[in-house]
Amino acid sequence: MPASTTPPATPILPRVNRRLRRMRWPAVVPFFAFLAVCFGIPAGTLAYQAFMVVDPATGESSPGLDNVSTALSGAYATGLLGSVRLSLLTAVLATVLGAVIAQAVVNSRRSALRKAIVSASGVFANFSGAPLAFAFIATLGTTGTVTRLLDLSRTGFSLYTFTGLVLAYLYFMVPLMVVTILPALDGIRVQWREAAASCGATRGQFWRHVGLPVLTPSLLGGAVLMFGTAFASHATAAVMTGSSVPLITIQIANALSGNVLVGQENLALAMSLNMVVIALLVIAVQIPLQRRSNRWLA
Amino acid sequence: MTSNAPIAKRRTAPDATGVPVTLRGVRRAFGRTTALDGLDLDFAPGELVALLGPSGCGKTTALRILAGFETADEGEVLMDGEDVADVPANRRDIGMVFQSYSLFPNMTAAENVGYGMRVRGAGRRERRERAAELLALVGLPGREGHYPHQLSGGQQQRVALARALAVRPRVLLFDEPLSALDAKVRLQLREEIRRIQLESGITTVFVTHDQEEALSLADRVAVMRDGRLEQCAPPAELYARPATPFVAEFVGTMNRIPGTVRGGGEVEALGRRLPVHGSAPAEGTEVDVLLRPEEIAVRAAADGTATVQVATFLGGLTRLGLRTEAGLEVKADLPSREAAALAPGARCTLVPHDGAVLVADRSAAG
Amino acid sequence: MAGLKAPAPPAPTAGAEQPAPPARPRTARRRRGVGSLFVLFLAAAYFLVPVAASLWFTVDDAGNGISFDAYAKGLTDDGLITSLLTSVLLGLATVALGLLLMVPTLVVVVLRLPRLRRVVEVLCMVPLIVPPIALVAGVSTVLSWEQELASTPFYRTFQLLQNRDFPLVLVLIYTVMSLPFLYRSLDAGLRAVDLRTLVEASRSLGASRTATICRVVVPNLRSSVVSGAVLSLAMVLGEYTVATVLGFEPFAVWMVQVGEYEAQLSVAAAMLSLLLTWGLLLLLTNIAGGRARNRRTTA
Repeated sequence: MPASTTPPATPILPRVNRRLRRMRWPAVVPFFAFLAVCFGIPAGTLAYQAFMVVDPATGESSPGLDNVSTALSGAYATGLLGSVRLSLLTAVLATVLGAVIAQAVVNSRRSALRKAIVSASGVFANFSGAPLAFAFIATLGTTGTVTRLLDLSRTGFSLYTFTGLVLAYLYFMVPLMVVTILPALDGIRVQWREAAASCGATRGQFWRHVGLPVLTPSLLGGAVLMFGTAFASHATAAVMTGSSVPLITIQIANALSGNVLVGQENLALAMSLNMVVIALLVIAVQIPLQRRSNRWLA
Repeated sequence: MTSNAPIAKRRTAPDATGVPVTLRGVRRAFGRTTALDGLDLDFAPGELVALLGPSGCGKTTALRILAGFETADEGEVLMDGEDVADVPANRRDIGMVFQSYSLFPNMTAAENVGYGMRVRGAGRRERRERAAELLALVGLPGREGHYPHQLSGGQQQRVALARALAVRPRVLLFDEPLSALDAKVRLQLREEIRRIQLESGITTVFVTHDQEEALSLADRVAVMRDGRLEQCAPPAELYARPATPFVAEFVGTMNRIPGTVRGGGEVEALGRRLPVHGSAPAEGTEVDVLLRPEEIAVRAAADGTATVQVATFLGGLTRLGLRTEAGLEVKADLPSREAAALAPGARCTLVPHDGAVLVADRSAAG
Repeated sequence: MAGLKAPAPPAPTAGAEQPAPPARPRTARRRRGVGSLFVLFLAAAYFLVPVAASLWFTVDDAGNGISFDAYAKGLTDDGLITSLLTSVLLGLATVALGLLLMVPTLVVVVLRLPRLRRVVEVLCMVPLIVPPIALVAGVSTVLSWEQELASTPFYRTFQLLQNRDFPLVLVLIYTVMSLPFLYRSLDAGLRAVDLRTLVEASRSLGASRTATICRVVVPNLRSSVVSGAVLSLAMVLGEYTVATVLGFEPFAVWMVQVGEYEAQLSVAAAMLSLLLTWGLLLLLTNIAGGRARNRRTTA
């Protein structure tokens, strides 16, 4: 091992080091083996099979781009676009609302209130999927409590739409954003605020010139996390709206279970691959920004 | 907003003149704890006053009330004769240097220094020139483009000082600006703060818990305790003529020596009668006499009543730790060449210097 | 922030007499607090209304007042008990497997293989890029090879993986999905203590390797282990996508199937799952909080 990667071995403890050295590889092998089998094989299959076209007549498969191009056209393109739109909108809303709520928590300076809100956020951030869908159906669905109470059906409101999904998604995304962004908001030092004030800056100027620039990487990181969470969500939409709002996750699930046409597994794989590509693109935006903020706040 | 016009007129720091500042009957309570209990203090134009005291004495609260970050429950704060109680911090024309980490991390040193001017609408070029000038003044020429994370703690505090000066403040406030720094850097920066403050002539309030810092830096030192002012006086006076036992013991080293009040305003201690400073307690009262280490002469004597325990060489002086037969611990300073005869174990006699002494209640903390 | 402007500047007081002012109004401070509380109040309304509405939905017996039938039915429903039990077992197995893989790996990486730290971090975060639906698409393709492998020893493995009573394949996928949570909390825990120094100190005092791991490493990582475990457990208890695509029937899938004909029962189940999440996280904060308190008293 090159000397630069480990501090000089403590001369008093040669025995310890030798023993630890012996135990180091066996301990990490299971981890890598597990990932290779349980993640590597499915992911590799996904990437490979997406480019294999099954001839419906012979059942033979051959390399081709048919799946990928189908996955990017027609109803599937609409689904992909719908997912991106829903994720973008909810990510922006959740980022803004989560940051505002988190800042209100920081401002309130009441530790009991803060504790309560942080633990409530933890609970609601984990309350997604099927249970969340049922809670919203019971609240705002056709026979939901609030729908009946406020006679919402007359206003034309329906939970089983894009808007309904936004409302439901925000229910777990906003709390997730609150817990994600709180540490960054705590990192905005009181001294900065006071130094800005003593320089003559108003609150607005402080946030414009110092607060937001310092927070930007964390906010963007949060927004990326929000986008990814919304983009990957399937259960909430599947239970609440079924196929009525076109979303790529639901189309993949349908293709997999053969609800649409038999033999569409490879199309499902191609759609999945599209999702991975979009997730990668979104994350790529964030990495350089994250690096800058780490430098500032080091 | 009164600050826009003057900025353009005043070109360089020296003609920025200090303004008088007054705290009158300022009270502030946080919940049940009283941080300030009727503080009265006057700061003369251009003066540097250090607020000194143990933690929790209210010195920082007083500074924050001056800065406008806290509001007083009662009393008034006057700057240049104007009551600033309702003026928010950003319109008070103050410069403030914090304990640490106050630089904006997303701005370079020059941008930090120029921030106050940016807020006041000064042009980019003017800001750049002024920042370069001020960074040179604080000993950081050529560091304009560095970000705070690229600067050491001492350098960061220099930039913070330049930033505070850049707005040509009426009052400069320091909140323990040196306490997070290494001893050596602290000494250097302390001297530079004083030099720059004298050049600029800005009324300055400097909060510290380090008595040496306060004594060496300030025109006057205000010693605070429990939200009240104990004494505000020039360092030499504070040291030589402390107004209260608390000041006497807080500033410098002090011995407490048991004594008994005798007639004629005198107290008897270490076998001698000494005049009491101020009014003496009733005759016969048991008190503690406060004596500085240099106010006790030590003579080697085989039949002496005290023994040398430790001798600490401090250069020109040697500090002796002594113990009397009665079990009393006493510290005394004497010139190092006289201390040669007083190695640990040596017997000696202790003789208090002539001159008025301060006495404190025997029961007080010792 | 809106509505929080600084108070107006004072009227000019040049030459005016200045009587000692009485107690200061603290408008700025008060207004700021009000703004924050208003935001928090709105948020509380948004988050509490669906819970209250759902609870009402489960007990509102159209026209006949309040009835707890849904809960009574739920508690006696075999489907609920079986599926919930499956989910809990899956969750515990996932947590156990995840911790067995991650704790030794991370400890060794921190102590002896710092070069691998980045690699392990990236590998643990990769599942975030592949959404569960995409992962399960890959898995179902792999599982479809079962027939082709009928003559090989792998066939038995595939059968075992898809055992209907206890689908091991779900444990494996859930473990992959929980790697990011586990990594984040364990990494935070490892950063908070200087493990290398602790281990060297313990070894230099004569402790054996096993004793070092049991008495030094594990107690120092306890709260981060618990937090990672609780998050994974909460994830598994509510998981629907993977299970439904692969045709298994844990709690969330049962909830949806029941919803087809018994809306009240599935909403009641949803509330039960909220309660479970809440209980789990409460447990977590208590354990973490207890630790923080200990720190303070020893400091």
